[in-house]
Amino acid sequence: MENKNAIIDFEGSISFETMEKLLNQLKSANQFNSLRKPVRKRVYGTVVESIDNIFKYATPYKNKGPSLDRPPQIKVKEQNGKFIVSAGNLIGNDQVNDLKYKLNLINAMDDSELKRLYEEVINKETKEEDRGAGLGLITMAMRTDEDIRYRFDPAGPVHSYFTMQITIKE
Amino acid sequence: MEKLIIESTANSPRIALDPESKNFEFSGESRPENVRKFYLPILEWLEAYTAEQGKLTDAERGFKLQCQFNFEYFNSTSAKYILDIFKSLNAINALGIGLEIKWLYEEDDEDMLEVGQEMSRMSKLSFEYIKSDA
Repeated sequence: MENKNAIIDFEGSISFETMEKLLNQLKSANQFNSLRKPVRKRVYGTVVESIDNIFKYATPYKNKGPSLDRPPQIKVKEQNGKFIVSAGNLIGNDQVNDLKYKLNLINAMDDSELKRLYEEVINKETKEEDRGAGLGLITMAMRTDEDIRYRFDPAGPVHSYFTMQITIKE
Repeated sequence: MEKLIIESTANSPRIALDPESKNFEFSGESRPENVRKFYLPILEWLEAYTAEQGKLTDAERGFKLQCQFNFEYFNSTSAKYILDIFKSLNAINALGIGLEIKWLYEEDDEDMLEVGQEMSRMSKLSFEYIKSDA
């Protein structure tokens, strides 16, 4: 039996203040609070990392003309007893191949390989470069037993709409 | 040297670095809006502290720093800076100053325990892992 139950279903501009509101909304949801503590923290952490990714990589959606008027989105839902976090945002097409490469690499890794990559990346990133080389993606991959599902949909001549979905491990 | 106290907010941790009592404490949630801006003064304070300890005699450095890490949650950008804090502590330890590092985690929060073990391994520092009741 399918049970789709959205705890967060947000679409629009995301500021730091919006993030605070969405996290408060999450923390006050009964379904969230009834989760085992580690699962709760995984859901929470995945929402934070997803929004951080939008802050760091997304193309501002209103400045590029009506054809690109597709806002970022963040969703948290319970489906068949599992929690699913999904996020979407516009990105430049020049970012697509790099992101695909990182996601495919991470999806192909087991836990020990992810830990090795985490160590490599955390030591490589510098204090001056806060955009990160995928530490957020690696962290999210550690919180799921499944692949990070993703897609890129064309959105104008030089942009794509990127969506990803993470099923949180129990 | 003056102690460094930063009170916690909903998205940033409490930091209390007290050279006099030789207690360093980090606690709460870490996902500040500008992670670099938050952690840079802490890393600079640790650098100045290390330089100051370097001027002491071996006998004067014969003490132990009590360091307590009690994070509720930190995001991946904060993780980089927390690892930098451990690297700074490693530099202090290299001067001959002892460290007692306590890593607190809530009972059944296996992810926080695991990330502590990874931080310990990466920084080559020994941690004591303590279950907290919170």
